[in-house]
Amino acid sequence: MKHELNLPIMDKDVEKLKIGDIVYLNGVLITARDQVHKRIVDYIKEGKALPDTFKELEGSAIYHCGPIIKESGGKYQVISGGPTTSQRMDALENQVVQALGVKIVIGKGGMKNLNTTRNKVAYLSYTGGCGAIINKKIEDIINVEWKDLGICEAVWFLKVKDFGPLIVSQDTSGNSLYE
Amino acid sequence: MASTLSDLEKKIVQALVGTIKRATTRAPLELKNSLKKAVKEEESDLAIEQLKLMLENFEYGEEKEIPTCQDTGVLNFFVTLGNEFPLISNFRDIIHSAVRTATQLIPLRGNSVDPITNENPEDNLGINVPPIYLSISENSSNLKITVLPKGGGAENISKLFMLNPSNGLEVFQEEILKVIKEAGGMPCPPVILGIGIGGDATTCMKLAKEALLRPLNQRHLRKDLARIELELLEKINNLSIGVMGLGGKVTCLDVHIEVAMRHPASFPVGLIVQCYAHRWASFEMNEKGEIINET
Repeated sequence: MKHELNLPIMDKDVEKLKIGDIVYLNGVLITARDQVHKRIVDYIKEGKALPDTFKELEGSAIYHCGPIIKESGGKYQVISGGPTTSQRMDALENQVVQALGVKIVIGKGGMKNLNTTRNKVAYLSYTGGCGAIINKKIEDIINVEWKDLGICEAVWFLKVKDFGPLIVSQDTSGNSLYE
Repeated sequence: MASTLSDLEKKIVQALVGTIKRATTRAPLELKNSLKKAVKEEESDLAIEQLKLMLENFEYGEEKEIPTCQDTGVLNFFVTLGNEFPLISNFRDIIHSAVRTATQLIPLRGNSVDPITNENPEDNLGINVPPIYLSISENSSNLKITVLPKGGGAENISKLFMLNPSNGLEVFQEEILKVIKEAGGMPCPPVILGIGIGGDATTCMKLAKEALLRPLNQRHLRKDLARIELELLEKINNLSIGVMGLGGKVTCLDVHIEVAMRHPASFPVGLIVQCYAHRWASFEMNEKGEIINET
C-alpha cells in the first residue's frame, strides 16, 4: 500500500503503516546521526534543555543521514543525502524518540532495539547510496542546530516534498522486514 | 628543471581532481551491468524496486555531476610510479592539494575526524589521511594513480581473522559467512568482498583492499582460488539477505581473493567489505605529463 503523509502526524496515522508499505513524506524533518543521538541523551542525563526548535518535531521524523552541504552566500543546500546505517544509533534511539516525540525514524539496515509498539513509531528504510536523487525531494534547509558537531553530524531541518520511496520495515505492531 | 617539475606537479594535481570527481560521481559500467543483471534475476519486488532506484540514482548523479552517495568515503590512493618517471617525491603534498581542491569543488563530505577530540577540519585531510599506497613499476616512465572512495557503512563490517593453520582453509568461509549474515543490511548489499589470505595481519588486509580493484566478474588466474571465489559467492547469495537486507536472491555481486605466503604458525584472513556503490577511477600519465589512459 502507498501512503502520502504530511508531517507532523499523529499516533493514528503511524498505526496505519504496515511492513512492506511505501511512504512519501511532505513537511519538515531533521537529520540526526551518531553525535546528535549522543548529545541528546547526554543532555537528558544532565537535565539540560534541548534547543527550542526541537519542540517543533513532535509528530515529525528523524532521518539518519550525514549530508553533503554546500554553503554559498549564507544559504545552505543539500548536494547529496542518502541514509546512514541505523544500527549505530540503536542503543540510544528509544530515548531520543521519546525526547523529541517523533513518529517516524528513517534510515537503512533496521534497528534491533527500537521499541516501535511502546513508542508508537515506525521505522522506514530508504535505499542506501541513493544520495544524489534525494536532493530532488529536498525543497529547502530551514534551520540548523548543533553545527559545532561538524557538517555531517549537525541537525539539519529539511523541508521535503514527496520524500521517498520509503519502505515501512518496522511497524507499530512490532513486525519487521529484517526478521 | 624546477619549473618543469612544478608544471608536472600541477598536471598531476589537475588529473587527480578529475579522477576524484569521476570516482565519486560516476559508477563503472560493469557495476551498472551487474545491477541490471540482478534486476532480471531477482524475484522480490522490494529488491527490484530498490535496484532500479540505485541505477536511476547513478544516472542522476552522473548527469548533475554530484556525488551519487553522500558518503564520499575515505579516499584511498594507489600510486604506481614508474622508476623512470621524472618526479619521485612530493606525492604527499600533491595528493593533499588535490584532495583539498576536490573537497571544495565537487563538493565532497568532510570525512576526517580526530579520534580523540572529534574535530573535523572539513577538508578530508589531517593526521595520517588520506591513505596512500605506493608501488614502483620497473622499466616504466609512467605514473598511474587509482582513487577508491571507501564509505564507512561497508568498511565497518571489514574484519581480520587470525586462524589456525590446521583448519584455517576449512573454516574461513564459515567465519566470513557469519560476519555477512550478522551484518544484514548494514553494509548496503549487494556487497562486493575483497579477501586476502596469508601474509601477516597487515598484508592480508592490504591484499583484501587491493582485491576490490579487480574488475567485477573477473576470476583469479589461479584455478583453485577462482573456484573458492565462486563457491563463497554462491554461499553468500544463499543467505537471502537481499538488497539492503530486505530479503531476496542477490546479496553479493562478487568475491575477489588475493593471496600471500603465510608464516607456518599463522593463517591470517583479511576481509574488506564494499557496498554495491563500488566506484573507483584512475588515470595514467607519461613522463611529459600527458594523460595516456583514464577510467
